[in-house]
Amino acid sequence: MEYEFLVDNLLNKIDLEKREDFFLVSDGENQYQANIEYICPNVISVLVNGRSYSVYLAREKEKWYVFIEGHQFVVQEPSEEKSFAGEEEKAGEEMLKIKSPMPGKVIKINVSENQEIRKNQTLAVVEAMKMENEVKSSIDGFVKKIFVSDGDPVDSENPMIELGTKE
Amino acid sequence: MGFKKILIANRGEIAVRVIKACQEMGINTVAVYSEIDRTGLHVQMADEAVCIGPPPAGESYLHMDHIIQAAHDTGSEAVHPGYGFLAENSEFDRRCEEENLVFIGPNSRSLNLVGDKIRSRKSVEQAGLPIIPGMKGSHKDVAKYEEEAQRIGYPVMIKATAGGGGKGMRIVYEEKDLKASLEAGMREARSAFGDESVYLEKYIEEPRHVEIQVLADNYGNVVHLFERECSIQRRHQKIVEETPSPVMDEKLRNEMGETAKKIIQITGYNNAGTVEFLVDKNKNFYFLEVNARLQVEHPVTELTTGVDLVHQQIKVASGEKLSLSQEKLEQRGHAIECRIYAEDPLKNFLPSSGKVLFLKEPRGPGVRHDCGIYGGCEVPIFYDPILAKLIVWAEDRNLACQRMINALEDYVILGVKTPIDFLKDVISHSKFKKGKTTTDFLKRHFENWEEKKKTEDKQKLAALACAFDSSLRAPVRTGGASYQKEIYSPWKSLGKWRLGEK
Repeated sequence: MEYEFLVDNLLNKIDLEKREDFFLVSDGENQYQANIEYICPNVISVLVNGRSYSVYLAREKEKWYVFIEGHQFVVQEPSEEKSFAGEEEKAGEEMLKIKSPMPGKVIKINVSENQEIRKNQTLAVVEAMKMENEVKSSIDGFVKKIFVSDGDPVDSENPMIELGTKE
Repeated sequence: MGFKKILIANRGEIAVRVIKACQEMGINTVAVYSEIDRTGLHVQMADEAVCIGPPPAGESYLHMDHIIQAAHDTGSEAVHPGYGFLAENSEFDRRCEEENLVFIGPNSRSLNLVGDKIRSRKSVEQAGLPIIPGMKGSHKDVAKYEEEAQRIGYPVMIKATAGGGGKGMRIVYEEKDLKASLEAGMREARSAFGDESVYLEKYIEEPRHVEIQVLADNYGNVVHLFERECSIQRRHQKIVEETPSPVMDEKLRNEMGETAKKIIQITGYNNAGTVEFLVDKNKNFYFLEVNARLQVEHPVTELTTGVDLVHQQIKVASGEKLSLSQEKLEQRGHAIECRIYAEDPLKNFLPSSGKVLFLKEPRGPGVRHDCGIYGGCEVPIFYDPILAKLIVWAEDRNLACQRMINALEDYVILGVKTPIDFLKDVISHSKFKKGKTTTDFLKRHFENWEEKKKTEDKQKLAALACAFDSSLRAPVRTGGASYQKEIYSPWKSLGKWRLGEK
């Protein structure tokens, strides 16, 4: 069976066929036999040509976190909705939506709506784990809308502030 | 007469550390926890646990009334504050004394003195011991700070009067940056310690941070347990500590040790404490402050001296005389500690909260792991991001470095970002191996750190593992078998087997 994964955002294709007591693996370039066993939840032992690897992995929602010999990877299946045209436009829109870099609490909003702002200007201060972090503007423009106030909890997915470009 | 029950007014790895010491001494333990920490490791390990309020520290771990009430309700005789939170709060210390609870730390009068860095520096200066030029007090208006900064000379450092651990600290190189940095420093100080006063001092460039561990009993007996070097710092937060210090020689060690003991004596200090110094390139040392608590990095001292500092703290607090004598104390081998924070080294070390999906603790001879997390636990956004500490001991520094590198390679935390890879590169760095550790080490050598390129082979292996995992979870499509979605079970992939056979 063929699988596609984004390993740290790089596309990897892999074909896995179960045989009697091994897997026949094909990664596009090479074909080889691998003996793969779950040792316990989160730990997979892989034997390839007598070489032994321990692979640690955990899955949360759509992502696998994988650890192999000192290296950590984030793996996920490529998303279905491949955006066609408008990719850049979308990225531009995303840039105008300012999100907190990490989940935390809003300490201070430094700007007000309709205020003109410069690129890298500090828009707000967010605190998590007792560290303050400044949230900065991605563009020269103005503040279109502010979604949060002082003291609000924020995550890193929803926008805190929306910016507008000067036409 | 020893204690029968101790309340631990903290969370995370340090609460776990103290609970373990109590268990070894046959003392019952009481954990306190905020609503979000119900499933915390310290709650699981303690004999009793009391909820002391909502998640924000100000309403729980910093809430004195709730903690004192919990101590009374459980019949605790003493309170161990750990580090951070109320550990250096002299009001809490005083209130414990009034409430007939033993505060496992210095007496409140001495804590009040050493906790006020301005007053403590004055006492040290008056005793003829070396200090760094700085401000005599904190002020309300910015103009006064500007004036003082002029007098001291830039660069200056902003420091919180009430705290340590890098919170509220800022270096200011020019007058134009002073106001903004003061504001940020005060805010951070207020949220970390509930007190926004800050002061300024001269910033000495390229110094080493070397501190002396001391222990004092209630009868005026004081010993020092040598130094720790903690120069590897980011945003003034220590991340790697070691002992002995590469810069140390016998003469300097004795001088600093004796100076530290004098400072402890003139401040009327008891219990465990640390006297921090800066050492410049000419091996001049300047008193910085007394850390009136058990330090995060205490394990490196324990591993090289064979003294359990938490046991000592508890014994001294219960009124025992110090059983250690300076002549008999010695350092053996070398120890290094790495702090494991929940942070993303690739994203400017932003805090990384969330769920720890999997944890594999490093093991082996000379490896110690002081840990406050477990696979499946949540890391909340409300508290200090320290998850665990990895400490190694070996016969000499080179071997200790190698042992640390191997242990970091053997260390897996999935789900939450950690600086494990970053730390591996720090310890492997040629300048670190040579002991060229100054407080600007990271700024100099690791300003734009990037993860080493992961090999393509390992990437493919990661994909293979996920394919294998998917093949066990996904609908099975072989031989017309029915589609089934099942939960993974390791037994299904085992095939035929028998006990005792491989």
